[in-house]
Amino acid sequence: MTTDPPLLEASNVEFAYGDVTILRDVSVPVRSGAVTALIGPNGTGKTTLLRTLAGLQEPTGGSVVYHGPAAAREIGYLPQHPEFRPGFTVLETLAFYASLVGGGRDEAKAQLERVGLEDAATRRVEALSGGMTRLVGIAQATIGDPPLVALDEPASGLDPGMSKHVFTVADELAAAGTAVVVSSHDLELVERTADQVVVLDDGTVVERGVPAALCDRLGVESLEDVYEASITGDLSRVRVQGETA
Amino acid sequence: MTGTPRSVRDDDATTATDDETALEDSRSAARAPKPTRRIERIVGRELRTVSRTRTFVLLGAAFAAVLLGIAWVGGGVGAGYVPTIVDLLTPLELLVPIVAVAFGYRAILGDRRRGELDVLETYPIAPREHVLGVFVGRAVGLLGTVVVSLLLVGGAVVVGREEPFSRYASHAGADSPLLFARFVVLTALFALSILAVAIAISALVSGTRSALALSVVALVVVLVGLDLALVYGLASGYLGESSLVYALAVSPLSAYRGLVFETVVITAAGTGPQTASPVASLIGLAVWTIGSLAVATAAMNR
Repeated sequence: MTTDPPLLEASNVEFAYGDVTILRDVSVPVRSGAVTALIGPNGTGKTTLLRTLAGLQEPTGGSVVYHGPAAAREIGYLPQHPEFRPGFTVLETLAFYASLVGGGRDEAKAQLERVGLEDAATRRVEALSGGMTRLVGIAQATIGDPPLVALDEPASGLDPGMSKHVFTVADELAAAGTAVVVSSHDLELVERTADQVVVLDDGTVVERGVPAALCDRLGVESLEDVYEASITGDLSRVRVQGETA
Repeated sequence: MTGTPRSVRDDDATTATDDETALEDSRSAARAPKPTRRIERIVGRELRTVSRTRTFVLLGAAFAAVLLGIAWVGGGVGAGYVPTIVDLLTPLELLVPIVAVAFGYRAILGDRRRGELDVLETYPIAPREHVLGVFVGRAVGLLGTVVVSLLLVGGAVVVGREEPFSRYASHAGADSPLLFARFVVLTALFALSILAVAIAISALVSGTRSALALSVVALVVVLVGLDLALVYGLASGYLGESSLVYALAVSPLSAYRGLVFETVVITAAGTGPQTASPVASLIGLAVWTIGSLAVATAAMNR
């Protein structure tokens, strides 16, 4: 797996909003058939990096290059707070997105079944709980079988069983050859699922590697220990990029 | 070093495993449809939104009721088509922009606020296709409201007219349903130009409050500001009297009013001074429509 060229390669990526630097010299290879997890404290640039990898914003420095196959949709994306146009059922919503890549209701149904939400197919999207909306968002992200799927905190707001299910879905996608990038605070599930972990702190990559290898290198027992050992500063305070406390 | 666009692609990256090859085959089965098909999808989505939004249905009913009331109370229904047009023209100059803005000011903003614009960016649909689809979808809803309401008024004239009418305006002074049809078409063009402005606003702003504020500003500019600017230009000598008929095309409202006078009212009356240049006015409305959609597309590309 690791000898193949990455599907997506972020090299020395910088991102800044005016004078406020969010990402500094971030290099991340994203490989097919693997789950790459971005972890780090709140406000450290995970969402910005994920959006940059998904092509939703241009980096102010460095490059993001897609080496993958031509596809109707190259990258699927789940926003951190997914929402859908009200007045439509879940199936109508997904069928609309599927129609943009040449699919239809059958593909929409298949993606709903994948996330275990087929019973909510006829429910209006505005009547869904937060967790169910997130599952619809994950189904949407996989519409068109994109070679790369970027999921921003896919398990946020879900109960433990559904969180586990979401990471299982990510694992299944990777097993089918898809490159999956997730940001998450659920370190236990990340440790169980991720093939590669990227630890971000203050807009830079402070650790990167296979979870077990990271534990060995730092001489710790778990990914949570890796996290605590890698992150500098007070873990109980939110780091606000560009602000000096 | 700046970021490399995502379109950079390594076509030689074909070191896929068997699993990846199989996956690629399934992906190739779901190729992106042609641009016209993609636009159709967006149009369909907008049409469903319009038809399922009670506010639009209520707005349409209120609009029709107001027009029928004005035509009835003003006596136009009994007098004929052209008197009805004269009765309706000024109210429509106010009401059509308001209804058009209501149909368009949140069209793209709603998707932006929900994060669906970001999601749509990962699908093979260009911003111009999205804007065009939104415009066409909302336009069908808006024209349904405006045209159906005016046709109801036209029907009321058919029923309520006290004297028999001539079908064709073959001579000066004749009243005719064809003149009314021309009025409906011109009103539809005016509505479309304002809808395009509203969609541009919805693409430019990031919040509902700013959309409302900018919509009010746009309405004031369209309904009052541009006319005042023309009056000022005429009073201060920047505009000559001979060029005024062309300058009116700068304002969509004046262009619409001028077109109605030139091609409907004066045609029926048979005489009168030239009030506008029909060609310049049509160009003016087209420029407002296309220009606004171009602004919306540029805003989506930000």
